[in-house]
Amino acid sequence: MATTTLAPGSKTYERSWVLDWLTTVDHKKIGVLYIVNAFAFFFFAGLLALVIRSELAVPGLQFVDESTFNQAFTMHGTLMIFLFVVPVFSGFANYVVPLMLGAPDMAFPRINALSFWMLPLGGLLIVSGYLVGGAAAGGWTGYNPLTQEQFSPGDGTDLWIMGLAVVGTASILGSVNFLTTIFKMRAPGMTLFRMPIFVWTVLVTQALILLATPVLTAGLIALFIDRNYGGSFFDPSVGGDPILWQHVFWFFGHPEVYIVILPALGVVSEILPVFSRKPLFGYKAFVWATIAIGLLSFSVWAHHMFTTGVVFLPFFTFMTALIAIPTGVKMFNWLATLWRGSLVFTTAMLFALGVMSMFLIGGISGVMLAAAPVDFHLQDTYFVVAHLHYVFFGGAAMGVFASAYYWFPKMTGRRLNEALGKVHFWMLFVGFNATFFVQHSLGIQGMPRRIADYSADAGWTEMNLISTAGAFLIAASMVPFVVNVITTLLNGEKVGDDPWEGNTLEWATTSPPPTYNFDRLPPIRSERPMFDLRHRDDPNLHPELAHAEIATIEADS
Amino acid sequence: MIRLAAVCLPALLLAGCLFPPEPMTTQAEEIRTLFLIIFGLGALVFVGVEGFLIYAVFRYRRRDDRLPAQHHGNTKVEIVWTIIPTVIVLILFVTSMFTLGSISARSDNPVVIEVEGFQWQWTFRYENGYAVTGNFIEPPVLVVPAGDPVRLKLISRDVIHSFFVPAFLIKVDVVPFGQGQAPNELEFTVTAPGTYRGQCAEFCGLLHASMTFTVQALAPADFDAWLAAAASATPTPAASVPPDLHVVELSADNIAFSVHELEVPAGEPFIVRFTNAEGVDHNVAIYDGTEILFTGTKVTGPDVTVDYLVDALDPGEYTFICDFHPIQAMTGTLMVR
Repeated sequence: MATTTLAPGSKTYERSWVLDWLTTVDHKKIGVLYIVNAFAFFFFAGLLALVIRSELAVPGLQFVDESTFNQAFTMHGTLMIFLFVVPVFSGFANYVVPLMLGAPDMAFPRINALSFWMLPLGGLLIVSGYLVGGAAAGGWTGYNPLTQEQFSPGDGTDLWIMGLAVVGTASILGSVNFLTTIFKMRAPGMTLFRMPIFVWTVLVTQALILLATPVLTAGLIALFIDRNYGGSFFDPSVGGDPILWQHVFWFFGHPEVYIVILPALGVVSEILPVFSRKPLFGYKAFVWATIAIGLLSFSVWAHHMFTTGVVFLPFFTFMTALIAIPTGVKMFNWLATLWRGSLVFTTAMLFALGVMSMFLIGGISGVMLAAAPVDFHLQDTYFVVAHLHYVFFGGAAMGVFASAYYWFPKMTGRRLNEALGKVHFWMLFVGFNATFFVQHSLGIQGMPRRIADYSADAGWTEMNLISTAGAFLIAASMVPFVVNVITTLLNGEKVGDDPWEGNTLEWATTSPPPTYNFDRLPPIRSERPMFDLRHRDDPNLHPELAHAEIATIEADS
Repeated sequence: MIRLAAVCLPALLLAGCLFPPEPMTTQAEEIRTLFLIIFGLGALVFVGVEGFLIYAVFRYRRRDDRLPAQHHGNTKVEIVWTIIPTVIVLILFVTSMFTLGSISARSDNPVVIEVEGFQWQWTFRYENGYAVTGNFIEPPVLVVPAGDPVRLKLISRDVIHSFFVPAFLIKVDVVPFGQGQAPNELEFTVTAPGTYRGQCAEFCGLLHASMTFTVQALAPADFDAWLAAAASATPTPAASVPPDLHVVELSADNIAFSVHELEVPAGEPFIVRFTNAEGVDHNVAIYDGTEILFTGTKVTGPDVTVDYLVDALDPGEYTFICDFHPIQAMTGTLMVR
């Protein structure tokens, strides 16, 4: 990817492109590094998913033993959440947030590089368990006392703890950087309530990371002490409390769900207005709903613990159900944005509509799980697996692909092939629903999660087979995507600076943008400065906008 | 009409798969009712939102280059659609609390059974002293009376497990609480005699998937007769040890054999003195390839030792293995020389 450089003096010496990428502190290159790194872990964790689904296709152990199976689902969950879906949005946010704010870079470019480079280190630590006698196998939730030394001997679990602590520290550093950037680096005129919704969701997400991640890191250190230095935080045989781990884990873990999903909801809120040619309906309500979700997410953690017998059920049922209100507001705002719009179905738009329709299902199943008595039946079954994949995959990962198709032209100057993109979308959409919709039913019929095998007379065989077939269709859908990315990079259609008629400031600069992003900015008078610029001759649209003012700025530049 | 049926039938079948199993306890009936109420509300939201989405996709496709009217919001409408989910949430909360109250009610004189979970099986203990422990090959049966309230006391010997019977629509975690903390309890009244599948629902380590069990509900009179008969049956005594034979020692702990290679003389019987140091079932079996040469009886620890008397073998290499945990750590080579 060529970078045109406008900053003076930057061509005084040449260095190899490898060294350039390894030492860069440019937010755009770091963003790309984040995304590439995240996709590497995505493909590895996806292969582990195929191991899981292959083994479960029919009753009996055919391909792997229990030990390999347990490692596979533990690594799948850990890597998908901590090394793919959270960092990949950090990558897109790294790339576009400074652009959207009209800023030259992130507030702390070197810390930005540090927080990226800790990620592959942490990820490799986690995966390296495979090289020392077996990776961690206690589930991504690492429940105690199962992860104590006497039940999970071996270095895999210690490496898992250390790797997660490194990844967590990286995201805390990143969060400070994002918050500072958003609060302090906005261009003149870019007030908080003119920020693009994606920036708002990143703001709330990063605040959640800052508040929640240290709790997990502390818990991980306590667990490490238990395992290696005779601690007794979580081991009941020496006076510890195994339920304490669940409180610590989920006090982090539930905000984590919103850390994952909010940026995806932000991306949808950018894409729908652009491809409907309408503003986001109820911008302020959307912002307040995002903030409300962020605040509520700290009061619902124990809904993961309804069956432990030691949590106050009415409080957590009520608080959990409350989250449906701001989430519902968002859904209605999106629908109203489409209403009487002028819709065009690019691949990015298809993925955004995919997020809407799939996240809705994840939201409804979440409300069902919020009702404690219903949760007594569904907890720890495949219903929960289906629910979390409708949120994490149907919601967040579809949002990742929406982002990829939407911002690829900004990052490279070339647009991903739309025909291949649509093949990718429909294969993924069908494969996703085939894999996970039937899992609701499996869970309702009583199939527990995290089992390597099940009885042939349980009646679960057909639906498991459908689910496995769907998983392979998802895997196949990655072929057109990867082919598309490679061929477009080599020989894709060049589409200029603003191929979608975007609303936000990243479309005001070249594609790809120069090192310090902008040499001039349009005036910022609303959350859609590029829309205002494009329609500056139509005073009916913006009576508050001084036509002359824009003309002056245009003339100056 | 036919087209409509072709669309609706699969949809109905699919929805049918989303209904819970036939509830077999009085508590399960209430949970199922609550499930259906919430499922109904969810289905309404689903059909409404997805319906509008599909409508919008077809109705508002871009047909020309005109800019549509720019709606930035409408406070009245937004207040209305904040109230809609609020009402749904309140209905959900109130009905959930009613159901929670009635399924948590405790009866005065239930049949109390202690359920102990351990890696990776269950022990069921009755008040008259009868107990049954399952194993990998033969999962245990929890026999309960139908029509009378049953209260389970759920204790764990090691990690967290979860007692789950899908037909009862409920699970409760089996937590190794610290000293002084009362164990979790689960109370239910089975509505009809029958056999119901159950298994551990909280991931508990290597052989989590094999922690299955069966609940058998008997008519109260049959239950009383069964319990009396079960308690009076005596366990089989241990076999005596023949003298003057070659003895090799082997023990099992943490789901692993102490040694993975044993050597015995060829052409004469020998004794495998096997100690099970933990509360998990193990045995020792000897194989030549897939051919079974010897199968030792099950030993349940902790710290129980048995002597297995094995017939003379020809010189060669054989495999010894625990039938309950056929994994690498519980496999070894028997050298006969």
